[in-house]
Amino acid sequence: MSGPALERVFRAASGRIIAVLAARYRSLALAEDAFSEACLRALRAWPESGVPDDPAAWLYRAASRVILDALRQQSVRERHSIPEPPPEPSAEELLADDSQVIPDERLRLIFICCHPAVAQDARAALTLRLVCGLTVTEIARAFLIEEAALAQRLVRAKRKIAEAGVSFELPPPELWPERLESVLSTLEIAYSRAHEDASGKAARAHFAAEILHLTSLLAQLLPDESEAHALAALVRYSEARRPARVDREGLMVPLSDQDPQLWDRERIAEADALLTRAAELGPRTPRLLQAELQRAWCARASLAEAAPWPQILGIYDRLAQLRDDAFVRINRAVAVAEVHGPEAALQELERLDSSKLTSFAPYHAVRADFLARAGRRSDARQAYETVLSLGPPPAEERWIRRKLAMLENEDAAN
Amino acid sequence: MKYALLIYEDETPYGPEKSNARVQEIAARHMTFSQGLGAKRLGGAGLKGTATATTVHSRGGKKTVHDGPFAEAREQLGGLYLVDVASLDEAIEIAKRIPLVQDGAIEVRPLLGP
Repeated sequence: MSGPALERVFRAASGRIIAVLAARYRSLALAEDAFSEACLRALRAWPESGVPDDPAAWLYRAASRVILDALRQQSVRERHSIPEPPPEPSAEELLADDSQVIPDERLRLIFICCHPAVAQDARAALTLRLVCGLTVTEIARAFLIEEAALAQRLVRAKRKIAEAGVSFELPPPELWPERLESVLSTLEIAYSRAHEDASGKAARAHFAAEILHLTSLLAQLLPDESEAHALAALVRYSEARRPARVDREGLMVPLSDQDPQLWDRERIAEADALLTRAAELGPRTPRLLQAELQRAWCARASLAEAAPWPQILGIYDRLAQLRDDAFVRINRAVAVAEVHGPEAALQELERLDSSKLTSFAPYHAVRADFLARAGRRSDARQAYETVLSLGPPPAEERWIRRKLAMLENEDAAN
Repeated sequence: MKYALLIYEDETPYGPEKSNARVQEIAARHMTFSQGLGAKRLGGAGLKGTATATTVHSRGGKKTVHDGPFAEAREQLGGLYLVDVASLDEAIEIAKRIPLVQDGAIEVRPLLGP
């Protein structure tokens, strides 16, 4: 088996193995280190012995052995028994039983990584590292931060979990709303990072695939949680449209101009099923409504079909009743512009507190667009310049530069 | 009268996990000090560093959990509870139920030692 193929085997096994070891020995560091050591042992052993039939089971047994050895040495050194005897079945029994499947403790691991007592900026990275097996380099690249800074953040988060005594048990039902929300919003943030750059270049596209996997895992593990299904649907709709998000020249394509024939129909069907299930399970939460917005778009069969703006505006009206923030208002204004014209949309924007939005690029981008459509070209130009000064991702930047060039051409024509 | 004596000092000399030689040294001095207090000593404990702190904020009756120590100047330290529970989660659950007359915060910090 080639190096990259081994890497894939290791990554596929890592989440499950780290999860079960962490749950059993109550230590993320111990679990993570033991898994790394098991992979090193595999790299030494497999070229000679051949890749085992069930590589994950081999890695699991090897990692369990590493932990038991470490605990034994520690207890000899400290001359007392192993502090916390592993719960049943013991790893030694598992070592003896080749057919033992690895229990799925990933949900527990996700809840630990997304614990509200863990720094918010570390939760997504920790989840991707431990549950998805992404490397620090990959995560740092996707989050656009220095590798060393990310590594430090991860160390701090793991230390916090260990030192502050975060529980390794699944939270009791009465705490689910708060705890699940932390998990879902962590995944949402991680996905929006992956989605930010419309061109979805290498690192981030792969990263988005991990989030897709994680959200469907969560929906599978929590078959009765509406919000988990809604999130899984939401990221699928977004991913389905990825092939149409940039044109051949690498320019961002706005949703209403995207060619629906480029969208991934199979993924949309998956999302439809998840959203239907979500709606059966629970009320219309903001997350559900956001998935419904996506569904409305993804129902469009071709560019010849009218864009579903009136329907979109209707959903935004309902969303604004539940979550009246700048993000919702700005998106609602975009629908207002399509249904009632740019002047009405500008009035909508004026109701927002612009002093709080000075560095919020989407605000300036939609405002520039409305101004241009309302014929206020110099105001529009200024707003576009503001967006550029905020450093948008490449595909968006090129799109805005083209808009600016168009405004200048119009000026020249007049 | 009963008094609480609250110790404030820079935690950095004690290292990230408060486990270096400086900690051993100060622990020995505290031991001597507290023995010298005799019956006047009602209780006391060292706290782990602020990196282990979690804060439960209460705003308008809504409780939210955050990583990190309490860091606002608006509220003043008004009291403390010591609890012995299985996990941080349980401590947070209790912290959420501590009565507050209005908005406020409860910092949850593990004690030093086993």
